[in-house]
Amino acid sequence: MRRADGAAVAVAGVGESGPLACDPRSIPEMVLDAVEAALADASLGYDDVEAVVTASVDLFDGVTASNVAVTEVVGAVMRPETRISGDGICAAIHGACELLAGTCDTVLVVAHGKASMASHLALTEWAMDPVFLQPLGVGFLACAGLQARMLAEEDAGAVGRWADLAAARRADAGSDAIAGPCSVEEVLASPIVASPLRAGMAAPPGDGACAVALTARPPGAQREGRVLLTGAGWDLEPHSLGERDLRRWEGLRRASDRAYAAAGLDPSHPALDLAEPSCLYAHEEELFRAAAGVGEGVTVSPGGGLFAGAAPVASGLSRLADAARRIRAGTARRALAHGTWGPAGQAHAVAVLEADG
Amino acid sequence: MSAVAIIGTGQTRHASRRDDVSQPELVREAAEAALADAGVGPGDLDAVLLANMELFEGRALPELWAGEGAYAAGRPCMKVATGGTSGTSGCIAAFHQVAAGLFDVVLVVGYEKHSEGHAQTGMALTDPFWDRAVASGAVGNFALSVSQYVAERGVTEEQAALVAVKARRNAARNPHAHLQMAGLTVEEVLASRMLADPVRLLDMCPQSDGACAIVVASAEAARRRCRRPAWVLAAETRHEQPYIGDIDRRLVTMRTLRDAARAAYERAGVRRPLADLDVAEIYEPVSYAELAWYEALGLCAEGEAGRLVEGGVTAMDGELPVNPSGGVLSSNPVGASGVIRVAEAALQIHGRGGERQVEGASRALATGYGVYAWADVVVLGAQEAA
Repeated sequence: MRRADGAAVAVAGVGESGPLACDPRSIPEMVLDAVEAALADASLGYDDVEAVVTASVDLFDGVTASNVAVTEVVGAVMRPETRISGDGICAAIHGACELLAGTCDTVLVVAHGKASMASHLALTEWAMDPVFLQPLGVGFLACAGLQARMLAEEDAGAVGRWADLAAARRADAGSDAIAGPCSVEEVLASPIVASPLRAGMAAPPGDGACAVALTARPPGAQREGRVLLTGAGWDLEPHSLGERDLRRWEGLRRASDRAYAAAGLDPSHPALDLAEPSCLYAHEEELFRAAAGVGEGVTVSPGGGLFAGAAPVASGLSRLADAARRIRAGTARRALAHGTWGPAGQAHAVAVLEADG
Repeated sequence: MSAVAIIGTGQTRHASRRDDVSQPELVREAAEAALADAGVGPGDLDAVLLANMELFEGRALPELWAGEGAYAAGRPCMKVATGGTSGTSGCIAAFHQVAAGLFDVVLVVGYEKHSEGHAQTGMALTDPFWDRAVASGAVGNFALSVSQYVAERGVTEEQAALVAVKARRNAARNPHAHLQMAGLTVEEVLASRMLADPVRLLDMCPQSDGACAIVVASAEAARRRCRRPAWVLAAETRHEQPYIGDIDRRLVTMRTLRDAARAAYERAGVRRPLADLDVAEIYEPVSYAELAWYEALGLCAEGEAGRLVEGGVTAMDGELPVNPSGGVLSSNPVGASGVIRVAEAALQIHGRGGERQVEGASRALATGYGVYAWADVVVLGAQEAA
C-alpha cells in the first residue's frame, strides 16, 4: 500500500495502558496514559496530530457516542475525528486509509475497552440477531463453544491440544499477567464454560487502552528500526452460525488474502516470521493458523497474545502494537496482526507490518 | 484526496414506525435502491460501510446482524458511529477508503429504527456524573443553546417558525419524507406545544425509522459507470469539547461547523458560499439551528440569519435553496440522517431530484451535526476537481 506520491504508512509510536483485571481509573484516564505513551514513543506532540480515529462500542461503555468520553484526551477537539464501532485494529486500518488518501500525514489511532464495568459476555448477547438467536440466551461464549464442539467431534485429540496451547500461552504471558501461568492439568481440571471449552482455555477479560501513531513516510526516507504498515484486509461473514462452516475462519482467509495482496505477498507463502492473532479461546489459534496461512515456522503470540488479558475493542490494536514493538526490537521482519469481533469469528481484520529499509 | 464520486443514491420511505420490515430489511430497501440507481450489482461492491447509533435500538455491533442487508457478507465492512454525524462520517470514511486506492466501488448505508428503541434513553446515556442530570436529550440541550442564541442574535420565534414551515412544505415534494404537512403555517408552528422554552413541538425534528444509501466510486469507475457523477470536492470534520458547559456559546459561534466549512470551501474553491453554491442539505435538528448554521456556514453575516429566511433566500425558488428534501425537520432516522444529506446533495448534482430538483444544480453542500457540536461538511460538484 503506497500513497499516490509514493509515501508509505509508518507505525511511528505505540502506547498501552493495561490490560488489568480491573482498572480503578475512568476510561479517559486509561486512554490518556496510552495516548501520552504513544506520542512520546513517536516523538510527537498533540499539535502534530492532524486527525484521530477512535474505536469503542457504546453498549460496552454504557455511553451513547462513547468516543465523547475521550475526545479531549485523544486531542480531537477542533480536529477531524472519526470513530469505528468495532475492533480497534479497524481504526488503525482506517487511519492508514486517511494517510493513503492524502488528507493528512499524521493520524492518532486509539481504542479502549473495560470488561470490568459489566458482565461483558452478557452484553455480547445484544450483538446477536434479536429475532432468532438472542432469545435463546446465546452470546459470543456460547457460539465459541458450539464451534469448538464441532471441531472436537471430528478430532479426538483436539481438546488435549487446546489445553496444551492454553497452558503455553499462559506461560508466555508471564506471572504478572491477569491470570498467571497454569499447568495443562489445571486447564483440564478447570470448569467447563461452554462445552468442550474450559475456563482455562479462555483468555482472561481485562481493562485496557491502546494508542498508535501513524505517519506518512516519504519515498526514499527508509530508516532501520522503523515499522511500516504495508497491507490490510477485513471481512464480515454471514451472521447466522448455520450459514457458515464453523470449522473454518473463511472470513479471515478472505481478509488475510486481501492484506497479503495489498502488501505484494503471495497468499500461499506470505513469508511471515511473526503472527499476533486475537484468540480469545485456545481452539481459535488453530483456526487462525489455517485461515491466514501461518505455517509452523512462524512465531505466534510470543507474549501470550490475549491470554495476557483481553480488553474488548482494544485487543486487535494491542496485537498490532505488540507486533510493531517486536519488529522494532529486531526479533521479527514481517508480521500479521489480527483483530476479530462477533460470534465465532464473524468479523476479522488484519494488517501486515514490515521492517522499513 | 484523489478523485472520488457518488454514482448512486437510494432511500426508504421514512416513517414513525416501519413495522413491515426488520432492521436488515430496512437496510436492504435503501441498499437495493442505491445499487439500482447506480446501475451496479451486489457483485460489483468491493466494501461496505454502515452508519447507525446502536444504543437507540439497544444493540451492540449491529453490523453483525444488519450487515447482510447491505450485501456485506463476504466483504470488508466497518461501522462508523459518531452520533448525528454518523451518516456524514460514514460517507467521509468511504471517500477515504476509495481515495486510498483500496476499493473502486463502496456502498454506504445509514439506518435507524427508532420505533424499536427509545431515543431519549439513548441520548440520556451521556457522562453519568456531569451531563446526564442537566443536558440529556436533544430538546433539553437545544433549549439551553437556543435561548443563548436568541438572546445574543435577536432571532424571533416567527423567523424560526418560517424555517419549520419551509422544511415541511419542501418535504411535501419528497416522497420519502416522514412528515407530510404541505399546508403548515407559521401560526400553527407558534401554536404548537412548548417542549422546552423556546423550542416548540413543530420546531423540532421527528424520530423516524429509515435508511439511506450511497454508492461511492473511484474516478475511473465513476467515469465509466455514471453519466453525471457527483464529485467529492471537499470533506471536513471537526469535533468539539465533550461537556456542553465547556463549549463556548454553542449555537452562537458553532466554531466546528464554521471552521470545517471554511476549510471545505477553500479546498473546493467556494469563495462566496451563497452565490457559489446551488443547493444545500444541512443537518438542522431544530428550526433555530438552521438559522445558526446559516451564520456558521457564511451564508450571511452574524445576526442576519432571520432576515435571510424572511427574504426567501433559502426557499426552493430563492438564491440558495436549503433542504429541498425537507431536511432533518421532516425525517430523522439518526444514523441515516447524515447519509440523507449527502445523498440529497448528490441527487441534485445527478439531476434526479424529481419535484424537489433545483434546476441545473452543479455545486452542492451537505453538512452533518452530532453530539453537542460535532460537524461534518461535504462539498459536491458536477465538475471533477482540477
